[in-house]
Amino acid sequence: MNDSLKNKSLIKCSDVNVYYADQQALFNINLDIKEKEVTSLIGPSGCGKSTFLRCINRMNDVIDICKVEGSIKIDNQNIYDPEVDVVELRSRIGMVFQKPNPFPKSVYDNVAYGPKLHGRILHQSDLDSKVQESLERAGLWAEVKDRLQEPGTSLSGGQQQRLCIARAIAIDPSVILMDEPCSALDPIATAKIEELIDELKSKYTITIVTHSMQQAARVSQRTAFFHLGKLIEVGDTEKIFRSPEHEQTEAYVTGRYG
Amino acid sequence: MTEEHIVTSFDDELKELTDGLVNLGSLAQAALANVEVALKTNDHNLAQQTIDADKEINELELKLEGMTFNILAKRQPMANDLRNVFSSVKVSLFLERIGDMCKGVCKRIVKGDLLNAKSPKTIDALVGLTNDVQKNLDLVLEDYAQGKADKALNVWRSDIKIDSSYASILTAILDDIKNKPEAIESLVPLFFIARYLERIGDQATNIAEVNYFIVTGEVLTDDRKIEIEEETVF
Repeated sequence: MNDSLKNKSLIKCSDVNVYYADQQALFNINLDIKEKEVTSLIGPSGCGKSTFLRCINRMNDVIDICKVEGSIKIDNQNIYDPEVDVVELRSRIGMVFQKPNPFPKSVYDNVAYGPKLHGRILHQSDLDSKVQESLERAGLWAEVKDRLQEPGTSLSGGQQQRLCIARAIAIDPSVILMDEPCSALDPIATAKIEELIDELKSKYTITIVTHSMQQAARVSQRTAFFHLGKLIEVGDTEKIFRSPEHEQTEAYVTGRYG
Repeated sequence: MTEEHIVTSFDDELKELTDGLVNLGSLAQAALANVEVALKTNDHNLAQQTIDADKEINELELKLEGMTFNILAKRQPMANDLRNVFSSVKVSLFLERIGDMCKGVCKRIVKGDLLNAKSPKTIDALVGLTNDVQKNLDLVLEDYAQGKADKALNVWRSDIKIDSSYASILTAILDDIKNKPEAIESLVPLFFIARYLERIGDQATNIAEVNYFIVTGEVLTDDRKIEIEEETVF
């Protein structure tokens, strides 16, 4: 049985429309994201994939002119319900950005920041364990265990990105959102992040925006293709890259779009 | 969908690959046409020419393999391009095998003497088998050149007939051996010729299956063939 049949949907998006003032950016998006799988969002620049990703942790809330309609349910709770605590919501959803953005703090404090902020860990020894565990899961511990008090910004680009992943998982999220996490990295650092994504999917539900078709093919089990704000096709990644249903998808993945 | 890639040199490379495969197909067809004539006329010179010409088929197959290798490394094709490029390796290998088998038939013609077998009916049957195999090869190569898979099922159906003809020929040769044991040395090569021709038929069926995969993205399994058969029977 393939993974797509095995896993249940953790995130259910129904009739999602997004507007920036009068400009509609997403049109009636209906997409289920399965638990403990990697889902890739692909499509040309401006297609709405990053906008959609940012709807999942309500990052668009900070943009005054942005309006989100429809429902996005995580574990059957609509995250756009008025009673939802956005801070608590974001503690369940980690986010990794295109450019590594460690805090101007030590490696240790970068990872410890979230658990301390959310008041989840009271004892120093527990915090030490959480920092070590998160760095280990991010595949970074061996490289930084003797540099924990050095600034996070002193690490290489690839290490900084893995530090950001460690920071994201330190708060025990169920979902990790990644917006082009490797686009600023060299091929070796990219390979390490991709290897890490593959390992992390056993514990987390991961959604990744990527411009690299090959990366989507390597890391994800499901792929969704967006075009001009519409979800054109979603399916098993192998199917999307072997014989997609829609001509627009085929045109894009084969480099004929233009 | 526009047919052209944003990177036009990728289109050029794909066209070069397809043209090369069509060319390889023409060489395989020519070799099989020579087999037909050499069988009919016991033409040793033509058979020898066909044996010598196999080198050209082998060289072109290697060239196409190199082109495919470079496209995979440089372009990392996806979807229909990936199916096309991946399948080109298989098709060129099937065509190269057809060349080898035509060469095998021609070697038997050159080494043995078909007239000494004194089995004109068997020779006629072998020519008939060659014609059936030629038809299938022509159909699948026409499909390939046009990017279609329309003839795949017809070819599969007629390969069953080819297998049946092959079995009949084997029985006839066995009967001849029983009746004319003194001609056994001339009759045994006919076994090999029949076998080569039947295998060429199989290669045509293989190409039909590849065409189907390129066009539909689905593998044409035996079960799927039966399903299509049932769907198309009214």
